[in-house]
Amino acid sequence: MAAGASIPIIVEFTYRPGFPPFGGLELLFGNERKHKVTLPGSMEDGSPTNIAYLLPYLVDNLMQDQRKEMFIMEDNVYVGQICLAMHETNNHDSRPGILVLINDADWELEGEEKYELQPGDNIVFVSTLHGG
Amino acid sequence: MADYRQMKKPNIQQIKLLLPLSLGVSSSILLHILNADIQRQLAKPYGGLGYDLHILVVDPSTILPSSTKYDQAYEAATKAFPDLKLTRLPFHSVFEYVPDMKEIIQEYTGPHFSDDESRSNQDRLAAFRAAVSTATSKADLDSVLLTRLVVGYAKNTGCEVVIWGDSDSRLAAKTLAGVAKGRGASLTWSVSDGMSPWGVRFGFPLRDLSKPELEQYKSVCEELSDIIISDEPLSDNVLTKNLSIDELMMRYVHTQGEKYRGVMANVTRTANKLESTAGSDDHLCPLCGGLVGNVKGNSGVTVANQSSDNHSSKFCYGCMRSRPEATC
Amino acid sequence: MAPTACFNCKEARAVIIRPKNRHKLCRACFLEVFETEVHETITGTKLFYPGERVAIGASGGKDSTVLAAVLKTLNERYGYGLDLCLLSIDEGIRGYRDDSLETVKRNAVQYDMPLEILGYGELYGWTMDQVVAQIGKKGNCTYCGVFRRQALDRGAAKLGIKHVVTGHNADDVAETVMMNLLRADLPRLSRGTSIVTASGASDIKRSKPLKYAYEKEIVLYAHHRQLDYFSTECIYSPEAFRGSARTLIKDLEKIRPSSILDIVKSGEDMAALVPRDVNQAGNKCGSTVAADDDIGGCGSQNGRSSGGEMAAMEKTLVENESAESRETEIKLPKGRPSNASQQKGVKKQTLGHCERCGYISSQRICKACNLLDGLNRNRPKTAIEVSVNLEDEETSSALLKQMERAQLTNG
Repeated sequence: MAAGASIPIIVEFTYRPGFPPFGGLELLFGNERKHKVTLPGSMEDGSPTNIAYLLPYLVDNLMQDQRKEMFIMEDNVYVGQICLAMHETNNHDSRPGILVLINDADWELEGEEKYELQPGDNIVFVSTLHGG
Repeated sequence: MADYRQMKKPNIQQIKLLLPLSLGVSSSILLHILNADIQRQLAKPYGGLGYDLHILVVDPSTILPSSTKYDQAYEAATKAFPDLKLTRLPFHSVFEYVPDMKEIIQEYTGPHFSDDESRSNQDRLAAFRAAVSTATSKADLDSVLLTRLVVGYAKNTGCEVVIWGDSDSRLAAKTLAGVAKGRGASLTWSVSDGMSPWGVRFGFPLRDLSKPELEQYKSVCEELSDIIISDEPLSDNVLTKNLSIDELMMRYVHTQGEKYRGVMANVTRTANKLESTAGSDDHLCPLCGGLVGNVKGNSGVTVANQSSDNHSSKFCYGCMRSRPEATC
Repeated sequence: MAPTACFNCKEARAVIIRPKNRHKLCRACFLEVFETEVHETITGTKLFYPGERVAIGASGGKDSTVLAAVLKTLNERYGYGLDLCLLSIDEGIRGYRDDSLETVKRNAVQYDMPLEILGYGELYGWTMDQVVAQIGKKGNCTYCGVFRRQALDRGAAKLGIKHVVTGHNADDVAETVMMNLLRADLPRLSRGTSIVTASGASDIKRSKPLKYAYEKEIVLYAHHRQLDYFSTECIYSPEAFRGSARTLIKDLEKIRPSSILDIVKSGEDMAALVPRDVNQAGNKCGSTVAADDDIGGCGSQNGRSSGGEMAAMEKTLVENESAESRETEIKLPKGRPSNASQQKGVKKQTLGHCERCGYISSQRICKACNLLDGLNRNRPKTAIEVSVNLEDEETSSALLKQMERAQLTNG
């Protein structure tokens, strides 16, 4: 696609079909499970927009919680770990994981943060949080 | 060490001990302690040594970039302990001291690696290591091969006991790493005093000393300063996923040990309480000596679940995990 | 990046990478492989007999929902002849359980299984909300855990069922192995990995058919089968041992994804290497055995919240060390489970009935009644709580967090 054109995508948090959002990752994102996001067609260096761009973008533009380390940790574009912020303390001993699905496939299959976003992509963040 | 002195009592012959010396803090201090003990014994008018100490230095240059630091340290050790027998062997001499190692590796690696007999031992070891893809598997197999070399040398020189210089911190890390690599069944000898699978006993005399304590010993012991090659400080700037499991556990024990030293020591003490159920009909892994299959009484099906991935059940669970893969 | 073809069928687009062997599978093959492996676990361990009535401890969370879905599928596919039902415990926490119980109720319809919900209020006269109002937020997980355990047994008994399955997964088991190493708990090391845990405190058998299933695959299974589960998402502050073990497991998974299963394998082998006397000492004490296994609700993942266990143990270890020579084996701190049987002394293995409530108990008064005594006497902290704490460290602290969250959400 032409650089510069915008890329509309859908970002979802903790996909649970058909039920009102409650208690999931969406809590960090204004309690909305599904977000329509339009990204620029290329990043600052001119290369195509990828997941590495999307992650901080979500934090800066969609996340309503101040604590961005709740969403992005370590390796700075690595969303492997999350800690949901319902506690005063950030107990980093208890960070559970997040799975990232790109059009329903594990992002590892798609090149992880290097995956170049396409118009209409569906990006889902699924928490693997404990809870029986 | 009194234990080993007493061992000779029934026999007139001295017991032969082998100390593998890495020139790191722990094993160097163990050497220093043993040397002092030997000097004391020799000074007694009717004294005699209860044991005959052999020291093996395995040169890591086959697997690490060679460094002059290492040569200097070895030189310093031979000068500092003129009465002791130090032997220096390259890592790849595992092929000499364990004669069937080439066949074992050939079978272990399967079709993913073809050994070229025309090449030198050094090149063959390098080729084998290059076929192993992950940091964890590499570190795992390195320690397996090192153990085999040390045991092979011990048998070759008639040593009945290998005394390892591992500190309690190191043993805790070894225990946790062993568990995480599916090698839990080997803990009864890999971190505990007792008989190894090769008929040579293992001992861990520094098991109750922590790394900080050893560092303290070193600081008051000038003659060791030229010998000890200090560990590289743990870098903070490493992604977890790029570490080997052994490194991760060293880090874990190091950081947690600052606050919970006793708890970290617990790890090895717990493992030490496990009792070997080894029997003569056990099928042992030709590579690492670990049990193939499940310990008696373990009805778990982890092995069965894995079996479809295995080309052979000859090797143990842990070794199968570190085997070079065609896919990744 | 071009789509990767499925390792199995070589046709469809791969959507998952299996942690245990890195195989890339399409949706259909993944679902089938996952189910087949649970089936192999069940047949390999002879977990059920034909016609057996089995209660699924259901919290509405991912693990127990996947367990229910898979068991239903396998029961039909392979003709196990099982009579399955769902058993849920209502701890009585407003705003939290409402949603998860609604989920379980929908599951009951979706899977066409009978559902039994048992509340703390009706069982004990105290809902967890009331307990918290009484004793505060700290330490109430102990109550919840003890109550929950009995509630499950009672629920099963009420249904005339002798086998309760829970949603414990491989990650849980691996975490428990590491935790038991850290706290030098040999008796639990010998039991924690076992697929079936017979409870000494009742004749109800408990098992975990998902013990070899990765948490990640359970989540993906639920996702790809579009299962209706309730994300009980809250953060926990598990007690230090479990927290430390969990961090380690998550790091290990990043380095070598198979290591979770490898720890389970090590744990199973080590269990068989635990000296017999330790093993038996542990088993004699019925309540200890029972405490070792817990329901696969949110509680399955959590330690107590009273915290400081690791620090307390460290302190004891250091004291022991300074008091005794290095050569002496360091003793387990008082109150460690391995000592529990000696400490209790009397009535180690005689299973009687609680004098108060008649429930099967190894002690004169069962733990629940002891706790209730404390509550009823309006004493927030009882001496009993401490000892129970040590035995029930695997029981739930989730509820506390969930309650806090519920309050946050409501407020």
